[in-house]
Amino acid sequence: MPDRRRLRPGPPRLPIVFTLVASLFATLLVRALWVQVLDPHKPVQTAGLTHDGRIVLPAPRGLIVDASGRPLVQNTSAQQITIDREQLLAQPDHGTAVLDRLAPLLGTTPAQLAREITPCSPKVAAPCWTGEPYAPVPVATQASTQAVLAIAEHREDFPAVALRTVTLPEYPYGTLAAHVLGYTGQVNAADLKADPALADADQIGRTGLEAYYDSVLRGTDGAQVLPLSPQGYATGPGYTVAPVQGDTLVTSIDLPLQQIAEQSLAQEIAAKRKAGKPATSGAVVIMDPQSGRILVIASYPTYDPSLFVGGISNADYAKLTAPTADDPLLSRAIAGQYAPGSTFKLITSSSLLMHNEINTTSRYPCPGSVSIDGRVKTNYDSEVLGNINLENALGYSCDTFFYVPAANEYYADQRRIAAGQKPDEWLQQTASLFGVGTAPGLDVPAGEQASGSYADREIRQARWDAMKSQYCAQAKSGYPDVADPGQRAYLTLLASQNCTDGWRYHAGDNADMAIGQGETTMSPLQLAIAYSAMVNGGRILEPRLGWAVVDGAGRVVRTIDPVVRRTLPVPQADLNFIANSLNFGRGWAVSGAFAYIGSPYQSQIGGKTGTAEVVGKLDTSWLATWGPIYHDGSGNVRAKFVMVGMITQAGTGATAAGPMLKRIWDAIMGVAGAPVLPGIAPPTKLPDVRPQVAVSR
Amino acid sequence: MSTVLTRPPAARDPRAPVETASLSLPLRRRTRGYDLPLVWSALALGLIGAVLVWAATRGIQLRAGADPQAYLYRHLFNLTVAGVLMVAASRVNARLLRLLGPAMYVASLLGLLAVFAVGSTINGAHAWIVLGAGFQVQPSEFAKLGLVVGLAVLFTERAARRGEDGAPAGSDVLLALVVIAVPMGMVVLEPDLGSTIVLGAAALGVLVGAGVRARWTVGLIALTAAVSVVAVKAGLLAPYQLARFTSFLHPNHDPLGAAYNINQAHIALANGGWFGTGLFAGPQTNGGYVPEQQTDFVFSVAGEEFGLLGCTVIIALFAVLCWRGLVIARMANRAGRIVAVGIVCWFALQAFQNIGMNLGLTPVTGLPLPFVSYGGSSMFAQGLAIGLLQAVRRLSVASA
Repeated sequence: MPDRRRLRPGPPRLPIVFTLVASLFATLLVRALWVQVLDPHKPVQTAGLTHDGRIVLPAPRGLIVDASGRPLVQNTSAQQITIDREQLLAQPDHGTAVLDRLAPLLGTTPAQLAREITPCSPKVAAPCWTGEPYAPVPVATQASTQAVLAIAEHREDFPAVALRTVTLPEYPYGTLAAHVLGYTGQVNAADLKADPALADADQIGRTGLEAYYDSVLRGTDGAQVLPLSPQGYATGPGYTVAPVQGDTLVTSIDLPLQQIAEQSLAQEIAAKRKAGKPATSGAVVIMDPQSGRILVIASYPTYDPSLFVGGISNADYAKLTAPTADDPLLSRAIAGQYAPGSTFKLITSSSLLMHNEINTTSRYPCPGSVSIDGRVKTNYDSEVLGNINLENALGYSCDTFFYVPAANEYYADQRRIAAGQKPDEWLQQTASLFGVGTAPGLDVPAGEQASGSYADREIRQARWDAMKSQYCAQAKSGYPDVADPGQRAYLTLLASQNCTDGWRYHAGDNADMAIGQGETTMSPLQLAIAYSAMVNGGRILEPRLGWAVVDGAGRVVRTIDPVVRRTLPVPQADLNFIANSLNFGRGWAVSGAFAYIGSPYQSQIGGKTGTAEVVGKLDTSWLATWGPIYHDGSGNVRAKFVMVGMITQAGTGATAAGPMLKRIWDAIMGVAGAPVLPGIAPPTKLPDVRPQVAVSR
Repeated sequence: MSTVLTRPPAARDPRAPVETASLSLPLRRRTRGYDLPLVWSALALGLIGAVLVWAATRGIQLRAGADPQAYLYRHLFNLTVAGVLMVAASRVNARLLRLLGPAMYVASLLGLLAVFAVGSTINGAHAWIVLGAGFQVQPSEFAKLGLVVGLAVLFTERAARRGEDGAPAGSDVLLALVVIAVPMGMVVLEPDLGSTIVLGAAALGVLVGAGVRARWTVGLIALTAAVSVVAVKAGLLAPYQLARFTSFLHPNHDPLGAAYNINQAHIALANGGWFGTGLFAGPQTNGGYVPEQQTDFVFSVAGEEFGLLGCTVIIALFAVLCWRGLVIARMANRAGRIVAVGIVCWFALQAFQNIGMNLGLTPVTGLPLPFVSYGGSSMFAQGLAIGLLQAVRRLSVASA
């Protein structure tokens, strides 16, 4: 055999090939026997022979209306251009001609359009269609009239292209109340993950009332339900479930008052800028101190929420977030926190009276300066008023008057600590009762509300524990990247003090807090809540913007009411005393009255100025006012409105916030013409919200 | 059955046309030199294919409002063309084959080159040339034939020039490897993994048919295995090929992606049982759940509607086809043997690979089932191959 093989190779190898081939086929037979007959766990079709596809018809969002039912956010219809991919591919040229005609109308290229309508898959990268393959793909949402007309008039040139009406949020007053209304955006992947009930086509509230009341405003999406073949092609017209528009949110915002406030705010900032002051930002809050409803929240600078409709462009977003834009998306009134300055003396006075550290009749010194632990602290402009009582200390806004009891309170606490007791820290305790350090609980997302702050021994120690190493490192390096030598020296000294003594809470810190300085900060809204408590019997309210939810038939689904968080333990007589001390009827004896001397309603309102010093910047100008003043059955001081104004880097409270709020008070009190609110009082009756007209699609 | 192969050729073959017992003289004359079981098995597969393609496309066509028999007619048309090509190829004589061999090889190379120039990508492989009006050709189908015939001529000519009859010289084998490497490399680049495997199998068959020494064959198999391992490890396979491979190993890993095809074909086959659901009665087939069911997954139609019985018939017909091919190889001279073994290895491996992927035994590679799957290019190439087998047989009978 070996010899023969060497001579005639070939034929003897064929049995090997045959055996291999035969074994291949035998393997197949055995496998077929197993798969088709023997396998005890044969797979079965679970998909059903046909199934349904859903094309979501997004529900129009509900309206947001003001206290009289005037829409602040409404819906507008826009023409959306869609392409049905199946119909397009069914064209003899697979839709090439259609895309060629459509692209120039939309200002894009046929290739770009083709990419946008191709369903995404591992092999197809963005831009691609993320929705269901059978659903028409929107290629332009706010298409130009020219494009819409071209398509509508030449239907035969645009097979597979459809026009459909979609609803989009519209802001009839532009930037008005933008921060509280908030903006909406297109649903993204993260939203879908968080809430499976959402659909790609939905708009979702991102900030403000739109976000807080999103579930109310969103409505219920409709759907076009299509029977599908297993390949995913629509096999018939199916049926349509109409979308249900979201409910209407009635707010307590008063449109004309909001307009006047925003205008006055912008006017004052313009005037201060003209006078050479930076006047970077400002806010106005008007609330009903009795009910806790908010009538006005204005913030400057602001933005146009319509930029966000259908997705904000990168260019617009860059413009809004540029460092030079001064952060227009931030609501100064709610999310901003600033040293409240002398407006804080409401809280200091309440604390000192409540704990009998001072009384309303005795006179206490108001020198030009006092020395606390070797550090000299002065009055504003080092004014010297001699011995005065609390009434005048508040009216003239004497700082040194409050330094002394605050320092004494500190020393008393130090003695308690030395004796092994807990410090009382009454000032901090009272500030906390007034709401400083806690978000006010307004009905906007929690992340948009500042809590305010103050310092005490515990907070100091905790922060020092966490930051010590950083302070010491900064002290050592000496801020090499800060250009200004004065600033650099100051920061380095501060860091060096913090490094060694940062844990220590000083008598001077307590004195700073007494006049709303140091680490004490509040938002304008928090200050309005605090002053509301002064004229409503000591009730600290969780204010509300929302007033009621009204359904499509005009029925009130629910009313939204402010919540009383607590009633202050401050005696009513003390609150009356503070309010009376600051009544503008006292004329020049009240610093805040400066702009109001001679106005017809001078004695009907009161107010407290604040001029907060900010390191390296001009003073923040504050004014907290209340009025028109009336008295309840027991003779306690009450007011219909509390109005807080604030402008950063603008000067004293009396000269910047003062005239700004006066224009608004003039409108409320009806100085020139009818009062903007009938009866000079907040509205108490819900408006009639007319049933919504169904949106045709 | 292996005894058949070791018998002396022609004399004992009951169907050998040299026997004079046939009653019908004209038929005997017309089919003189023809291996009828080979023709009948190929024709039977083609007709079964027509029915299966019809069943696979009927539902979809009806839903689309198109002619439910459209694919049936086109398949029958393809089959007829393939029959004509078979008859034409069976008339080839030795001299013509010597001329045709290099020509077919070069033509198939040009076809593969054209794919890179003007080709289209279908299901991940850049393997098609679209001719317009719904026609497209897949040159790699013809490359299989071109390679087999080209190699046969190469080995025969080299041996004849040297005037010896022994095993091919090492230089012959090396030259053959170059000839194999060119089209294989191009198919790899398309990338068409299935055709690469089949081309490799056909080339291996050619080497065996040429009687190269065992160390070459064993060495090449070992090398192929090593290259395959490296290709997978080094990430030379396209992502879609790896996905098909991993889904073959883990069918539940990605049920809506690459594994979808396998799972749906598996359900269809499992529906069939012993005798199947009956023609046009397979829910999986009628529902159109199995993508590419008229081409690569046509076997799952047989599995669902005709059950294990139908599957066995198809596998048996392929076994008959390969057996007759090897019988022809046994009778043939060197050139004929090379062609015959090459073609048998091609058919066997392509049938195994295709049926195997339907049964979840091998990875999905986009290969048609010879004669059964819908598609012109493969059907024509296979018709030519059967014709060439007949030519080999006719020439060896004539020389016997």
